Amino acid sequence: MEKKEEKCFSLCSNRRQFLLASGVATATVVLSGIPGMGAKKAEAITTGYPRQKVASLSSLKTGKPVEFKYPDTKKYSGSFIVKLGTEAGGGVGPAKDVVAFNNFCQHMGGKMLDGGYKAADKAVGPCPYHQTTFDLTRHGIVISGHSTESISQILLEVEGNDVYAYGMMGLIYGRHSNL
Amino acid sequence: MTQYYLPKDKVPIPPPNAEVFTTACDYCIVACGYKVYRWPVGKDGGPSAMDNALLADFPLEPLGKSGVAWYGPNNHNVVMVNNKPHNIIVVADAETGAVNLNGDHSIRGGCIAKKPYNPNTPTRDRLQRPMIRIFDHLMPVTWDFATDIFAEMSNYVIDKYGANAWAHKQYSYQYWENTYALTKLALRHIGTASFSPHDQPGPGGDAIGLRDTGYAKFAPSYWDWAHADTLFISGTDPYETKTVLWNEWILPAINKRKMKVIMVMPRKTMGAAYAEANGGLFLQLIPGTDTVLQNAIARQIIEMDGIDKEWIKKWTNNKWETDSGFGQGTRNSPWQWRSTWGKFETSGYDNGKKSFKTWLFSQKEFELNAAAELTGVSAAKIKKAAEMMSQKKGKPTKVSIALEKGNYWSNNYGNTVSIASLAVITGTGGRPGRMIGRLGGHQRGGRGGGKYIRTKGPEKNEGRRKKPIDLDRWLVSGHVRFANVVGCTWVSGMAGAQGGIGDAFNRQTRKNAHQVHSFNKSEIISTLKKRVDSGGMVVANWDIYLRDPIGVKYADIVFPAATWGEVDFARANGERRCRLYSKFYDAPGDAKPDWEIAGLVAKKMGFPGFDWKDSNQVFEETARFSRKSRVAYDSIVWMAKKNGMKGHELLGKLGTTGIQAPVRIMDKAYANSKDPRINRPGRKFAGDQQEVLKGLEWRGGVLFATVRQHDTEMKMPDTGHPERTIFNKLELKYKSQTGKLNLLKSPWNQFSDFWEWWKPKGEELWVTNGRINEIWQSGFDDMFRRPYITQRFPENWLEIHPEDAKARGIESGDQLVITCDRVPIQKDYNQAVFSGDFMFSNLMKQGHIKLTKASITGVAIVTPIVRKGTTWTYFQNPHQPANALVPMVPDWVTNRYRFKLGVGKVKKIGESPYKRTYRAFSFARRDIV
Repeated sequence: MEKKEEKCFSLCSNRRQFLLASGVATATVVLSGIPGMGAKKAEAITTGYPRQKVASLSSLKTGKPVEFKYPDTKKYSGSFIVKLGTEAGGGVGPAKDVVAFNNFCQHMGGKMLDGGYKAADKAVGPCPYHQTTFDLTRHGIVISGHSTESISQILLEVEGNDVYAYGMMGLIYGRHSNL
Repeated sequence: MTQYYLPKDKVPIPPPNAEVFTTACDYCIVACGYKVYRWPVGKDGGPSAMDNALLADFPLEPLGKSGVAWYGPNNHNVVMVNNKPHNIIVVADAETGAVNLNGDHSIRGGCIAKKPYNPNTPTRDRLQRPMIRIFDHLMPVTWDFATDIFAEMSNYVIDKYGANAWAHKQYSYQYWENTYALTKLALRHIGTASFSPHDQPGPGGDAIGLRDTGYAKFAPSYWDWAHADTLFISGTDPYETKTVLWNEWILPAINKRKMKVIMVMPRKTMGAAYAEANGGLFLQLIPGTDTVLQNAIARQIIEMDGIDKEWIKKWTNNKWETDSGFGQGTRNSPWQWRSTWGKFETSGYDNGKKSFKTWLFSQKEFELNAAAELTGVSAAKIKKAAEMMSQKKGKPTKVSIALEKGNYWSNNYGNTVSIASLAVITGTGGRPGRMIGRLGGHQRGGRGGGKYIRTKGPEKNEGRRKKPIDLDRWLVSGHVRFANVVGCTWVSGMAGAQGGIGDAFNRQTRKNAHQVHSFNKSEIISTLKKRVDSGGMVVANWDIYLRDPIGVKYADIVFPAATWGEVDFARANGERRCRLYSKFYDAPGDAKPDWEIAGLVAKKMGFPGFDWKDSNQVFEETARFSRKSRVAYDSIVWMAKKNGMKGHELLGKLGTTGIQAPVRIMDKAYANSKDPRINRPGRKFAGDQQEVLKGLEWRGGVLFATVRQHDTEMKMPDTGHPERTIFNKLELKYKSQTGKLNLLKSPWNQFSDFWEWWKPKGEELWVTNGRINEIWQSGFDDMFRRPYITQRFPENWLEIHPEDAKARGIESGDQLVITCDRVPIQKDYNQAVFSGDFMFSNLMKQGHIKLTKASITGVAIVTPIVRKGTTWTYFQNPHQPANALVPMVPDWVTNRYRFKLGVGKVKKIGESPYKRTYRAFSFARRDIV
């Protein structure tokens, strides 16, 4: 088990960078540094996501979400990327303000963008079904509502002007496995 | 404490042969139905319907349309069954016939799979062994050892100091089997008057004005909350605290039926914002002023001629009717015992000088502009609310009225009387869609195993009228020698948590010279005897976790309890719906259900009648004591027995739909009648027409559910079915001698002396408090043992208006200190001699009030959802107890605390780590619509 985790982490340097950048450095240090301590935490993270270009930085306008599909084109793959205009957890780009999320509410599957992106609050929602809202500056955590998880965040990295998706945090609504 | 949570991206699927159990959520009163799927680790099913127990193809459809609700990582756990690890998923039941239709759930219930013990999760500190404090460490011992000490010390205290020195504080809600056994021990056998439920300083009702008016507090069904024209909700936002009642009943009624919702609170959350944006109204009042607001609305309705005249004429008592007879007139009733004399009674609606109407129009505070000034709600909005509740000529406005703690925990009697009066004049409280009641807090799992004997209590009103005890004051005054605390947080849960009750516990336990320094049982007992003889106290605590401070700091004896999912239990939700909460895994270690622990100690204390073999035996014993109550389920047990089943077994067959009590056995012809006076609106959700009940009968009678109480238009049969059926007057009428309603006064001046003295002065702000959607179990589960929820709210916080924040240099994420140097503690034990002795101004004058200091910390959330001058904090973080800022001076009429009226000064002391990191908390506003 430990070996598998270590292997995962050596292969997943991008995710590791993401975790470090977004303030959970201790978790990754613990995982790779102290044998036997990290197995439970590491289960949260699955490998094998496609690396896919989802936007170019120059085309993103602050406060205007752009939709795309990830990690495949199957049901519930609808996602969006948005430049918030303020630094955010997991944000990329020069201002660390570009984030991406799956578009489906983890409560009962409502399409979050139908409730709208709320630029003043950097929030998405309310969900058209039962009004759940999520904070996009804080890894998609529930602001108010019923979802038992944050809205699934898509891990991003930047290469020049291109923004790539390379993984996800959390299970996509409706599925039993993201992949 | 976990402040980050990294979610998994897959969940296991139950195989076709997975076992399925039904249960309901353990948390809020709504009690959504859940299914538990259980299968051995390593035997997962597959995503095709052929390969799983869900009979559904993945990916699942939204809104439960696959016949099963989708489940995520927080719905999964691994538990131990017969010493073998099993997967469980706990999923809201999309096929239930009531409550959480479509498999809806709250964030709290949605995470309930994380409640069961699993040593790999933050549940690893579940109490598993009985413990005794020795050398100031709680050390594991045997059940025999611990219960010997408990029994001997209890008997010693009772024999030497009397039963009232043996105090008992317990949850009022954690299943009928447990509450019955506990009260059988404490009330029937020990007979102590030192008794209080988890959330109050003494026994008795909570919405007492409703009762005195004649209303039962849980009469409505959820169908009623969805079928009003105007729904007035005071003191809670059901979106936040009764989520699925909002999602599946109130919200669709707003969207589809254009039901208007008026919400009354000092703080605007999602439900209030949504109501306001959709034809309703939000009345953002100053804390504690509901009486003025409600009476001002009533007065406007009368001025608009919007009252329900025929209803008032038919259903209200005149003076003679109010006074008449025994039972619920003023004679020998709780009302009379409260010695309120003529302060609240009227002669009826508009008959003479002492009538309700004459009184209402004589009170200057209820005049429109004066009320606007006092409540902070504009005159225009008060008028608008009155218009929305007024009866229109030729077309009745169906008004329903709901209230909860924000209302009744500020000015208990005044607020609950005035809201009941508002109901009476608008024709509310006796017809479908036109009901009044509490929305509720905890589920209804209280069953009396003995009666509280008020006459044994030490407190009295003027005259010879005994009051139920204020147990906190009794303890602070040093009269308690043994405190038995079951499943609740005595100290942080009560008012004046620092200067009052906290200080007293510390003084009477830890600071006492007699501490146990021996493993020898007789030495332990002799030391504890010395402690109680020197004025100290022995504390026993039964719980599932070691709580701070009651268990961590004060308990001498700790009993580990088994809980939800570990034993079969039963109870009802907020519409009297009874269900079985099935056992689906084994309790950790040596933990036992509280009914069994009660049996162990009761037998050692020498009491008979505690020889239960299993939970069902206790349940069946409790049934006959339910017969006159709103949750009468005796018929279920009777029907089960007559058909060769056990009580729990039949209740279990009723599944997540359950059945609405009172449940009766009625003749088949009556029960199956299509007459709308019998087959009442909302019946299809009542649960008595389920397939599993077909063919189940006894002497021509079948189980018959009650959709709502006070159903004045319902037709009863001329004679009841003879078997075990008690017809309660409340099914057709009200709680008074005549069966009609008392229209009562609610004078502001019975409360205003306190309110004027206490309201914020100078730099002070109101520090009101409440529940939040994400957290239900403040200490057991959500707050500390759900990594996701802990990440959302890692510690206590204070919501403050932007202008108040700016004046203090506060930004979101700053670390705050909230202090008060004048928290009043009613310190002496009081026996009133003259009328008005218990009024706050008189207590002050006579030196019964001590002012104490209190101080808590919190993280700032600057948000416009609270009104200027009023801050809001979470009510029950044991480490930062908001109740410390709450006066330990109960309502003088009812002995209920004014929990929602905290006051304090707010100061920034620096920045919290959450201000500039992004994993935990969100400082976004909660009213985005």
